[in-house]
Amino acid sequence: MNTTVIKTGAPMREADMNDATPKMEIRGVSKTYTTRKSETYALETTDLSIGTGEFVTIVGPSGCGKSTLMMIAAGLEEPSTGEILVDGSPAGPAGPKRSVVFQRFALFPSETVAQNIGFGLSVAHVSKVERTERIKEQLTLMGLEQFRNSYPKELSGGMQQRVAIARALIVRPEILLMDEPFAALDAQTRTVMQEEVSRLHRRMQSTVFFITHSVEEAVYLADRVVVMSKRPGRIKKEISIPHDAPWRTGDIEDAMTYGDFNELRKEIWDLVREEITTH
Amino acid sequence: MTQIKSASSTRNRSVRVASQPFVYGAVTLLCVLAAWFLATDVLHLVGSSFLPSPVTVIATLFGLTVQPFAGATLMGHLGLSLARWALGVGAGILLGVLLGIVLAWLPPVRAAVTPIFEVLRYIPPFAWVPIAVLWLGASMSAQALVVFIAAFPPCVINTQLGVSTVDPILTNAARTLGAPPMTILRRVVVPVAAPSIFTGARIAVSNGWMALVGAELIVGKEGLGFLIAQGQFNGDVAMIFVGIIVIGIVGTLIDFLIARAEVWTLPWKTDSK
Repeated sequence: MNTTVIKTGAPMREADMNDATPKMEIRGVSKTYTTRKSETYALETTDLSIGTGEFVTIVGPSGCGKSTLMMIAAGLEEPSTGEILVDGSPAGPAGPKRSVVFQRFALFPSETVAQNIGFGLSVAHVSKVERTERIKEQLTLMGLEQFRNSYPKELSGGMQQRVAIARALIVRPEILLMDEPFAALDAQTRTVMQEEVSRLHRRMQSTVFFITHSVEEAVYLADRVVVMSKRPGRIKKEISIPHDAPWRTGDIEDAMTYGDFNELRKEIWDLVREEITTH
Repeated sequence: MTQIKSASSTRNRSVRVASQPFVYGAVTLLCVLAAWFLATDVLHLVGSSFLPSPVTVIATLFGLTVQPFAGATLMGHLGLSLARWALGVGAGILLGVLLGIVLAWLPPVRAAVTPIFEVLRYIPPFAWVPIAVLWLGASMSAQALVVFIAAFPPCVINTQLGVSTVDPILTNAARTLGAPPMTILRRVVVPVAAPSIFTGARIAVSNGWMALVGAELIVGKEGLGFLIAQGQFNGDVAMIFVGIIVIGIVGTLIDFLIARAEVWTLPWKTDSK
């Protein structure tokens, strides 16, 4: 396992992933927003590969273009240059191969928890029997059985985000994109959700691309942390986290008791802080 | 436990709060009736050709329900009025909601249509009565056209508002789950915009009702507005009052029904009210 710091611009990781084709490849992607009055250079040309089963987190100062990168990766925004590949082929428009969990949950308010979770299956015309079965599976996995007929507004923030995660997982995406999914939650709920996502990832070996502004969260969850510079965003550094890191099985509070964890956290936080103070 | 307790006590209180205004309202209504009765039948403060007594009005009302006037009983006139109204309002809501969605989703169409629409909506519906009669004759469709003109703009405006304020994060979420545009419209956009669409429909319903009676006053051979016009023509003040009262009661009923329909169709919204 590669535990050393990987330099910017060296994204290929065939050696560690035992897989020649990355699950997702962000290739030469940049973004410039053009309005009538001005041009905003939001994202510098970026290359990033995410291996099958890998959990990659992105940290950076707010407004650094990490959300732009996420929107482009999801196919919800067009890049100004470059392309997104999934399993080596152009990813095309947004769709269930790349499902997204948003910061503000984005649940459909007029549909129940079960309908929200089953949304992706019903638009794909999955049979009623299979749909019911898979919704039930997700409800159990996320501890949502008793809320199956509730409307989103009747749930707490943590429960709403569980629904959103279930809705994104049920379509069996090639890659799960998460855009600051826990930023809107209170601290205790966030800790619980972080641990659940970590456990889910270990269990399902899913590929996850995760944006956060929390350095602890980034280190705790990731196989690899990507640090972005301030706007126009570029990848400043990529740091691999040991696969057998001891904190992976506990929650984030436990993680902070490990010296290695705190060293990584400090190293990454220093990188992020340079971007905040050097305006 | 405490939560359950507080929830049930809130419900009890809300029942009491809801019933109190109803009682107040009923008392006020009875007072007005009593004052009316005193001023006419008891004290004879005003002449019956000026303000008929409530007894006369009620007698006229019941008389009209059995005795046809100008070819139809009161129910017949009411039915015709309702049919014209339903035709105009139905078309207004249907086309208004469709145009509202199109305007919210297609900026070029919005840019093209908005100027004409803005000019048209400041023309009072009654100004169209002569044109409606010229084009369609003094028929049901002429009256319905006037109703349509009154009902259409609030539907367009409120639907457009509701659809354009749907959070893009919801449509994005639907897209990433593989939903095609029509599914997004049906399952995400329209339900989320529904309260605003209902507001438009409710305004359309009452605007349409008022426009209808106005149009019937000016032109037509039957309907509630026609009854009032005939009352004026024949010096039958009681009939005028029958028309006015029935219009008021039916209008209130329609508004009540559409408010219930909103609660019934949007169960996920109702507990916030």
